[in-house]
Amino acid sequence: MKDIFAEFYNKVIGFFRRTEEAEESSKDVARNRLRVVLLQDRTNLTPELMEKMRKELIELLSKYVEMDKEALELNLEQEGDQMALMLSIPVLRAKEESEIESSEKEEKSSSDDAEDNSESDEKTDDAKEDDSDADSDDEDEFENDACDCGKCSKCNPKDKQK
Amino acid sequence: MSGRVIVITSGKGGVGKTTTNANIGTALARAGKKVVMIDTDLGLRNLDLLLGLENRIVYTIVDVVEGRCKLRQALVKDKKNPNLCLLAAAQTRDKTAVTEAQLKEICEELQKDYDFILVDCPAGIEQGFQNAVAGASEAIVVTTPEMSAVRDADRIIGLLEAREEIKSYKLLINRVRPNLIKSNDMMSVDDVVEILSADLIGIIPEDTGIITSTNKGEPIVNDEKSLAGKAYKNVARRIIGEDVPFLNLEDETSVMAKVKKFFSGLVGKEK
Repeated sequence: MKDIFAEFYNKVIGFFRRTEEAEESSKDVARNRLRVVLLQDRTNLTPELMEKMRKELIELLSKYVEMDKEALELNLEQEGDQMALMLSIPVLRAKEESEIESSEKEEKSSSDDAEDNSESDEKTDDAKEDDSDADSDDEDEFENDACDCGKCSKCNPKDKQK
Repeated sequence: MSGRVIVITSGKGGVGKTTTNANIGTALARAGKKVVMIDTDLGLRNLDLLLGLENRIVYTIVDVVEGRCKLRQALVKDKKNPNLCLLAAAQTRDKTAVTEAQLKEICEELQKDYDFILVDCPAGIEQGFQNAVAGASEAIVVTTPEMSAVRDADRIIGLLEAREEIKSYKLLINRVRPNLIKSNDMMSVDDVVEILSADLIGIIPEDTGIITSTNKGEPIVNDEKSLAGKAYKNVARRIIGEDVPFLNLEDETSVMAKVKKFFSGLVGKEK
């Protein structure tokens, strides 16, 4: 009998508590924590690696937009069998074209220096290509910047020639 | 005859592997199947206790492997059911005393005479687990609706998928507490199934009768009134191939629960 009254009391209290604030139940907390931890277990993507990826993405994206860096969220999520990286970026404002160009020029000059050092013994064809790309769209620009890694598709042909 | 070799495993300790083994084994034997259970938890054997056979063990699996007795001599017959027997683990040796190949050989030998060989796996993912899995072609992964148990079950499922000899694995969710699920303080069966995305073979409610049944060395499937016992019997029927619906635990609880339900009905429709 005690049990019944205890449960009754809990229900009444619980009812008012729930109307005050829609608190997340402990079951939902458990389920969400478990989802995150299992995705990490399954992919070997440690929190450190996720943080590194987050920082690099911020660096890359701040070229185009001004954003709330603290609020940027990067999460692994699972939809059915498909694993997805979900990136949520609170944008404060998009950057002006001139700003993007100027930051590109800065980057270009620094990366050109780097390329000159590392590829000084490469054929001159590549240098010509770089020049023509300079006035084409941003995506190509980005790929060229990123291609001294030696691993991406842009780099591979060169490597094979060597 | 070629029997089915099913390993019962969980990763985490204390979720009810051995209890599950004892009860499914007993239920299968009650259904007229010839069943042998192998305890591979060397050094920490317990299956004998759950079956009340601890005083009858003369030889263990290590004696078989090391040639001190024939396989047949080491099988301990159940007190009640002549269809059921146990190959006990050695209590004084460690996991290295038996190899994967030796266990596989034992399973193959037993397949000739028995319908079901249930392998009770030790906790963990080390050699003891690898040994237990070696001879099996099916697996039952036991878990509870708790985070740590589900996480470990996920690891185990990953390891089982990596082993070619395991053709199928099923999930058994143990110690389910309908009241906690109802109050949103425990993950539901659906939550666990969705997270692990595995097929379900059983839902066993938390039952204090398990404690008394262990005290007596009498599997709970022998208690006709027990809900957990009924759930285990249903698992056995599903293993045999029958299509048995899952128990609706909320409806099947005690009279007390019905009284409570009546009162909570009066209190109102709070969600």
